[in-house]
Amino acid sequence: MIQCRGLGKDFKHYQKAGGFAGSLRQLVRRDYQLRSAVTNFDLEIERGEMVGLLGPNGAGKTTLMKMFSGIIVPSRGECSVHGHIPFQREQVFRKKIALVMGQKSQLWWDIPAMDSFLLLQKYYEIDDRDFKKRLAELSALLGVERQMQVHVRKLSLGERMKMELMACLLHRPEVLFLDEPTIGLDIVAQRSIRDFIAQYQVQHKTTVILTSHYMADVEALCQRIVLVLGGEKRFDGPIGEFSSILGLEKFVTIAFGEAITSDADTYFQDFDPHWNEARTRVDLRISEADVRRRGMEIFERFPVIEFSMEKLPIERVMNELLVNPHLLKRAVT
Amino acid sequence: MSVAEIGKWAATIKISWNKLLSYKLNLLLLVIGPSVVFFFVKYSLWTAIFQLEGIEQLQGYNLPDMLKYQGWTLIVALLGQGYNSMNLAEDIRLGRISAFLVYPFGFWSFQTASFIAFECLQLFTAGITLGALFTLQIVTDLSLVALVAGLLFSILVSFFWYQTSYLIGLMAFWLEETWVLRVMFLTISQFFSGAVMPLEVYPEYLQKLLMWTPFPYLTYAPVKIFMGEYRGDIWQGAGILSFWLGVAVLLSLAVWRRGLRLYTAAGM
Repeated sequence: MIQCRGLGKDFKHYQKAGGFAGSLRQLVRRDYQLRSAVTNFDLEIERGEMVGLLGPNGAGKTTLMKMFSGIIVPSRGECSVHGHIPFQREQVFRKKIALVMGQKSQLWWDIPAMDSFLLLQKYYEIDDRDFKKRLAELSALLGVERQMQVHVRKLSLGERMKMELMACLLHRPEVLFLDEPTIGLDIVAQRSIRDFIAQYQVQHKTTVILTSHYMADVEALCQRIVLVLGGEKRFDGPIGEFSSILGLEKFVTIAFGEAITSDADTYFQDFDPHWNEARTRVDLRISEADVRRRGMEIFERFPVIEFSMEKLPIERVMNELLVNPHLLKRAVT
Repeated sequence: MSVAEIGKWAATIKISWNKLLSYKLNLLLLVIGPSVVFFFVKYSLWTAIFQLEGIEQLQGYNLPDMLKYQGWTLIVALLGQGYNSMNLAEDIRLGRISAFLVYPFGFWSFQTASFIAFECLQLFTAGITLGALFTLQIVTDLSLVALVAGLLFSILVSFFWYQTSYLIGLMAFWLEETWVLRVMFLTISQFFSGAVMPLEVYPEYLQKLLMWTPFPYLTYAPVKIFMGEYRGDIWQGAGILSFWLGVAVLLSLAVWRRGLRLYTAAGM
C-alpha cells in the first residue's frame, strides 16, 4: 500500500535579471525564492492498483514520483510505500520498486542491453534460472529477443524503451513507477508498450503509478485517476467519474458535404465547437439528455455526411479543466 | 561483506571493463597516450632547459636523473591519478544519479567499483609505459623490492586521489560548478607533491611542514620509492596518507548524507 499524508516539497531557487548587469548583480545579491512543487498531498493506493497521475507540465507529478521512489527527500509530511519510508532508501525497499524514466535512460549507452541486464541480475540477486526464464518471457512479450545484444546507442527509441522496461521488471518489483514511458514514441510503439504494461500488470498484480501526457496511455491502463494542478490534488477517483466532471456530455463529431458559413455559429456556440480549417468538420460537446433532439435538428438543418458520437475523451476534459480550473471546485474528492 | 555483495562489486567492475573496451581507438590512446605525451612534452622540455641554459646540474639532478625522475612521475601519475570527478559533479547537477539511488547497490560502492576497474586498466598502461621508458634507457636499475613497494604505495595514492575527487564531485549538491575546486586542489598538489619539480628545491622548513600533509606522498614519495632513493619512513608516509584518506572518506559520508537532502533529480 502506498500512503502519504500532508506530503510537500519545496525547491529553493533565485531569480536573475537578464543580461550582463543581471549577472553582475547576482554576484552581490541573490533573491532566493521558495517554490512549492507539491503541497499538502494526501493519497492512498492499494496493492495491485494501477493509478494515473495527470496534470500539465510543472504540476508536481514527477516530484511526487521522485518522493515515492526515494530519490528526493520531502520537505514535510509522511510517505510510506509498502511499509517503507522511501527516502531512507533501505535495500529491501529498493528491491521492491522499479522506476522507468521516459526522459532518462538507465541502461549503459555504450554496451549492449544484455550487459546491463547481467549487472542488474547481480544487483537484485536474481538466481540464474529465474533470470533466464524472466529474460526469455519479457523479451518474447516485447518482441526484442534479437536486440538484446545490440549496443543501446544503436537501438531505436521504441526498442530502447522496451529494454528499459525489461531492465526494471527483471526483479519482479512490487511497485512500478512509470514516468512518461511512451514519450516521443510513434503510435505503434506506444500501443505496444501500453499493451505490454497492461498484460504484465494483470499477470503479476503489480502496483503501478503512471504519469503520461498521452491520455490514451491513461485511458487504456488506469482505472483510477489523480489530477495534480499547481502541486495540489484536484481530483481523485475512477476514470469514469473524471469524464463526467464537466457534466454528462457526449463528444460529437460531424462532417458536412460542404463548408458551413459563419452564420451557423450562433447555433453551435453553446456546444463548445472546434472547427477544422475548411469548416467541413466540427467537434461538439452536447449534454446526454439533449443529444438525440440536437442530432436530429442538425441533420435537418445542415448537409451532414457523417455523424459520430462517443463519451467525452479524457483529453478534452483535461484541456477544459486546464483552461477553466474553477470547474474542479465541485469535483474535488 | 556477503557473497551477494561481492557479486555486485564484481559485476560492476566487469561492466566498467566492458564499457572501456567498447571503443578501440579510445582504448589504444588511453594505453599509448601517456608515453607519447611524455616524449613530446616532458622529454623535450627538460632536454631544452638543460641544453639552452648550458647547465650540467639542477639542485643535484643532471639531465638523465631529471628524465628518470620525470619518467617515474609519469608512472605514479598513471597509477595514482586516474580518477576524475568531473563526471560525478555533472551527473549530480544534471540528475543522472537518480537511477543509482533506486538500485540496491550503494552509490559510493558503484563509484568505487568503477574506479577499481579503471585502476586495473591503468596498471596495464603503466606497465606498457614503464616498458617503453626502460627500453629507451630513461628508467634504469629496476629493483623488484622497490617496484613492489612503489606499486603498493601508488595504489594507496590512487585511493586517496579517488576519494578526494569523489568528495569534490559531491560538492555539486551545493555548487553549480566544481571545476574551480578541482583545479585549485590539483594545482596545489602539483606544486607540493613534487610532480612539477623535486621537493628538495623547496626551503627546508616547508619540506618539514609538507611531510604532515598528504601532498608529498602523492608523487614525490612513490617516485623516490620506485627509484630506491626514499630517505623517509615508508610506513610513516603510508600512515599519514591513510589518515588523510580516512578524513576524505568520513567527509564524503557526511557530505553525501547532507547533500542528498538537496538533490532535485533535475531533468526527470
